[in-house]
Amino acid sequence: MSDEHAERFGYPPMERPPRLTTGPVAWLRENLFSGWFNGSLTLVLVVLLGYFGLGALRWATQEANWGVITANMRVILWGRYPQEELWRPVASVVLVLLLAALSWIVWRGAALRRFRNWMVGAWLLSPFLINILLGGLELPTLRTITNNIGYFLFRPDLLPVLEATWRAPTALGIMALLAGATWAVESRRVPRVLALLGGLVFLALNLPAAGLMTEGPAGVPIPQAVIILGAAVGGWLVGGAAGRTAAAFSGARRLLVGLWVVALGVVLLVLTDFEVGRPEYDPQAVLAQVQPSLWSGIMLTLILSTVTILLSFPLGVLLALGRMSRLPVIRVSCVTIIEVVRGVPLITILFMAQVMLPMFLPIDLTIDRVVRAIAGLTIFTAAYLAEVIRGGLQAVPHEQLQAARALGLSEFLVTALILLPQALRLVIPAIMGQFVSIFKDTSLIAIVGLLELLGILSSITKQREFIGTVREVYLFAAAFYFVIAYAMSVASRRVEKQLGVGTR
Amino acid sequence: MADIERIDTGDDIIVCENVKKWFGEFQALRGISLRIRRGEVLVIIGPSGSGKSTFIRTINRLEEHQEGTIIVDGIELSTDVRNIAAIRSEIGMVFQQFNLFPHLTVRQNLTLAPVWVRRWPQAKADSKAMELLERVGIPEQADKYPGQLSGGQQQRVAIARALAMEPRIMLFDEPTSALDPEMIKEVLDVMQELAHTGITMVVVTHEMGFAREVADRISFFDFGNLVEIGPPEQFFGRPQHERTKLFLSQILHQ
Repeated sequence: MSDEHAERFGYPPMERPPRLTTGPVAWLRENLFSGWFNGSLTLVLVVLLGYFGLGALRWATQEANWGVITANMRVILWGRYPQEELWRPVASVVLVLLLAALSWIVWRGAALRRFRNWMVGAWLLSPFLINILLGGLELPTLRTITNNIGYFLFRPDLLPVLEATWRAPTALGIMALLAGATWAVESRRVPRVLALLGGLVFLALNLPAAGLMTEGPAGVPIPQAVIILGAAVGGWLVGGAAGRTAAAFSGARRLLVGLWVVALGVVLLVLTDFEVGRPEYDPQAVLAQVQPSLWSGIMLTLILSTVTILLSFPLGVLLALGRMSRLPVIRVSCVTIIEVVRGVPLITILFMAQVMLPMFLPIDLTIDRVVRAIAGLTIFTAAYLAEVIRGGLQAVPHEQLQAARALGLSEFLVTALILLPQALRLVIPAIMGQFVSIFKDTSLIAIVGLLELLGILSSITKQREFIGTVREVYLFAAAFYFVIAYAMSVASRRVEKQLGVGTR
Repeated sequence: MADIERIDTGDDIIVCENVKKWFGEFQALRGISLRIRRGEVLVIIGPSGSGKSTFIRTINRLEEHQEGTIIVDGIELSTDVRNIAAIRSEIGMVFQQFNLFPHLTVRQNLTLAPVWVRRWPQAKADSKAMELLERVGIPEQADKYPGQLSGGQQQRVAIARALAMEPRIMLFDEPTSALDPEMIKEVLDVMQELAHTGITMVVVTHEMGFAREVADRISFFDFGNLVEIGPPEQFFGRPQHERTKLFLSQILHQ
């Protein structure tokens, strides 16, 4: 109770706890030199540590050839990604950093609270954007829709290229039109900025084609730059005018949201080529195909682990819920998946994904090796996550569910609003441990022939001028994995601390 | 919800006919027949294991009865999920262990069901929540988490949470049994105030003072049977059944 309480009833005031002998010297005497045995042990250890430490330091500063890392930095980071297309992975990194910075601002500022949904939306959209950026733009067409869905899912690299013709500027025009209209109708800052960003992204996608020439209607060559500029400015002006006219109409905002959705569909159609199957890399294209099998280095390591984490988490939650389902069919199949996958080593699953997955697919449909690796990593992680999450689900007191049901919540809402939030926060450390472990396990991919960080590094050591630099290279790998893994566990502790507020 | 069949039960809001319930081989309810009038405050007392808790849990289907009928506000409790949902949204329940949602603030505890079940706009749910917190006397705790409140405060929040759905019936399952002695009164005061608003209340409790003062009728459960029921003065003054007399002589110091 407070001092106020003590004063009111005349109790003596609260006392300070007694001070112990403290300070660095006292600590040393107590912990390191408490007797002749401990004292000499400390001295011996100091000498040994100094000897090995100095040796390691001398090796690292004088003997080691760190040139193998610095000279190969580009390869280590981006691997075999075409050099002239490097802006695409860089743009992806910038996009993620930008989103992270924006999120930090939005989540910190109480005044920006209402923008959180927009931020979440942006994050949800970003993987698709990045996939398009890195892999090129390709989508199923109306004509070959079923066929193409298969390709889209399993062979995106075979789908057509977005070319620098009329189609790209048309898409740009539509986006500019909507951006202009949104700018005119919306008074809120975030939708305006988002609309503007949407337009700018499409403008940026068109820019690399600006130097090209296009054949106009009467066979007259027109500089692509003119078309692009025309589409952007024209779209913005027309959209703005239409928006100002529509602003008087009360449903304008809602209509605009609908238009954005429709427009995205139209844009995708406009951009889609009605033929399939040109896997070769075409540097003339605006966003040329870069097959995932060319993705390598740290880039591939990060993509593999992020995609695996993003996919395995929901899958793990579903498996865990399925395992506790009352319906026998669902329960038995979930238990089977979980137990089979957990009973098989990861490396076996990875080999099976490379070798056996194609056997279940149509003959002309082959899946990219990277996609196959992701499938293997995802199912493996999901099975382990499912067991971790099941532990959390079972730890939520039954009374919590009863209270939620008594309030009239449906079983779905009870699960989504009461059961899962409580269960997941109980098992954050274990989930994060699983993520850290799969991040490190992506290095096994090297064995099935993909050049992620470890694969690239071991190929580097075979360069003639860097023969015998295995130690430097693997130390670098260890440092890289440690830094990321440690960052993940620090992040996990923070999340835990934040979510732990006021819980029992 | 227009297609839910409603039965006219006149002045009675809860009608139970010969309700039976087994846990495995053990029969917890041995045929309970009971009609509760609109606006009535019914107190249920009885020794532990007498089935009183099980009985009120069958009224909102937290426990399923195997035989007999239960009709709540004209809706029969059947296996039809829509009937169960309709009945649950008309019944508020308060538990012995409060069962507040620890991951949500007090305010969020109160607005969760109105927003997701009743589909109220957040602003409406928020103002209702604040109004209810005023009523139970702890508006200043709205943004704290349940773990930061005392037991008495938590139970008052739990009452407010149940009231946020604007129920016609409130079930109380030993609401003061888990509280420190100093905090029992603050919860009973809220319940007494609530009883005057005309809401139907079914209260399982060991608080004889509350029963005597607030109840319209008191019912005594033993061994899965409804042994005796009557107004407080008759129940305490002239109990009819041998078992009731024995129970009262053991709990009341005279």
